[in-house]
Amino acid sequence: MLHSDATYDPGMSTTRSRDLGDLERAVMTVLWDHGPDQSVREVMHELNDSRNLAYTTVMTVLDRLSKKGLAQRRRDGRAFRYTAASTREELTAASMRSGLETLDTGDRRAAMLHFLGQSDPAELADLREALAEVERRHR
Amino acid sequence: MDALPVLALVLLALTLTVVAPRAMSPQTSFRLCPGAALLAWQSVTVSGVCAALVSAPLAAWGIRQDHEGVWWAATALSGAMLARLLLSGHRVGTGLRTLRRRHRDQVDVLARIDEQTGVSVLDHASPTAYCLPGRRRRIVLSRGALEALDESETAALLAHERAHLRARHDIILEFFTVVHHAVPRPLRCETALAETHLLIEALADRAALRRCGARPLAGALVAMNGSTPPGATLAGGSDQARVRLLLIADAATRRPGRAALIYSFALGVLALPVALAVVSL
Repeated sequence: MLHSDATYDPGMSTTRSRDLGDLERAVMTVLWDHGPDQSVREVMHELNDSRNLAYTTVMTVLDRLSKKGLAQRRRDGRAFRYTAASTREELTAASMRSGLETLDTGDRRAAMLHFLGQSDPAELADLREALAEVERRHR
Repeated sequence: MDALPVLALVLLALTLTVVAPRAMSPQTSFRLCPGAALLAWQSVTVSGVCAALVSAPLAAWGIRQDHEGVWWAATALSGAMLARLLLSGHRVGTGLRTLRRRHRDQVDVLARIDEQTGVSVLDHASPTAYCLPGRRRRIVLSRGALEALDESETAALLAHERAHLRARHDIILEFFTVVHHAVPRPLRCETALAETHLLIEALADRAALRRCGARPLAGALVAMNGSTPPGATLAGGSDQARVRLLLIADAATRRPGRAALIYSFALGVLALPVALAVVSL
């Protein structure tokens, strides 16, 4: 079986995917900071203040981001223009939630393990009492 | 062939799938030995599924010469149950992986990576912390969580999350979720699923307190109390912070006798349907 996937080589995978992750983050930041309908060349121009990237690299990253649903693209002549699918604030808020919305909460709870999940906050007095119990027993 | 073992097997299947989850979830003493208790829950689940799958064909085995139709119907019933289980496994499995991948993609473009710990930090004021299990796993903290916790508490919280990831607690949870969805809706026991979640948290707490001590972990629980919005609370999951603090307090006491008792219960539950099936043939 052939493994053409760049992430296959175990020696390379960490650095490779990390670099790619950094790049995706940088490109998303450009889309967030510089408004809608950015062309590949515009994004490349913004990024190349700090790094030297090929046109095709930026195009590939933008393509990956739109496949992941993080960016939306619109055809403009022979090229595409890209817009962030949601604002940074919206996406951050969505990443914070354990997801009380559409999906079955049971599945959500198994998808991500919250340190303290799905519970009503306890009364502070009850907590103090329980904390005192911890300190008393773990001497 | 004897009818009695078959009858016992049918009763056992019903007991393990319908009665046991409802009888076991209020038993808070199980929580004092979370590792043993999780094993007991797993054996009850596996055993119940096995008993349910084999009891109908075994019941019709003796009369298969005279009533071939009944035998086929019984086998078809088992086949349908197995198909339902496999379908549930497929649905839950792909659903979870899709959710985790989407969530990880989001986190990866948003979060900064903390140089020291390698965790992803989201720029948000309210405290939250979770891990995304899987091959490309992530531990995610919010800026609010880092501000709410001191250094030792952060270490305890990270030890808790790393225990989840290292011990693959997600697989145990996935298993319970698959079986839960395979059971017809009126027979499902939500409190049982919530209880297994709590046991898994208690188990990760045990690992964290062995590594970082009880007080930092307890401090982290107090600081993070109320960090998830209320509303999705399930029975048994309310005031989880208080329950877990009391379990951390109790972890100072060794309970080998109780653990041994729960382990033997787990073993017995696994052996029972096998013994009955063998005897009935």
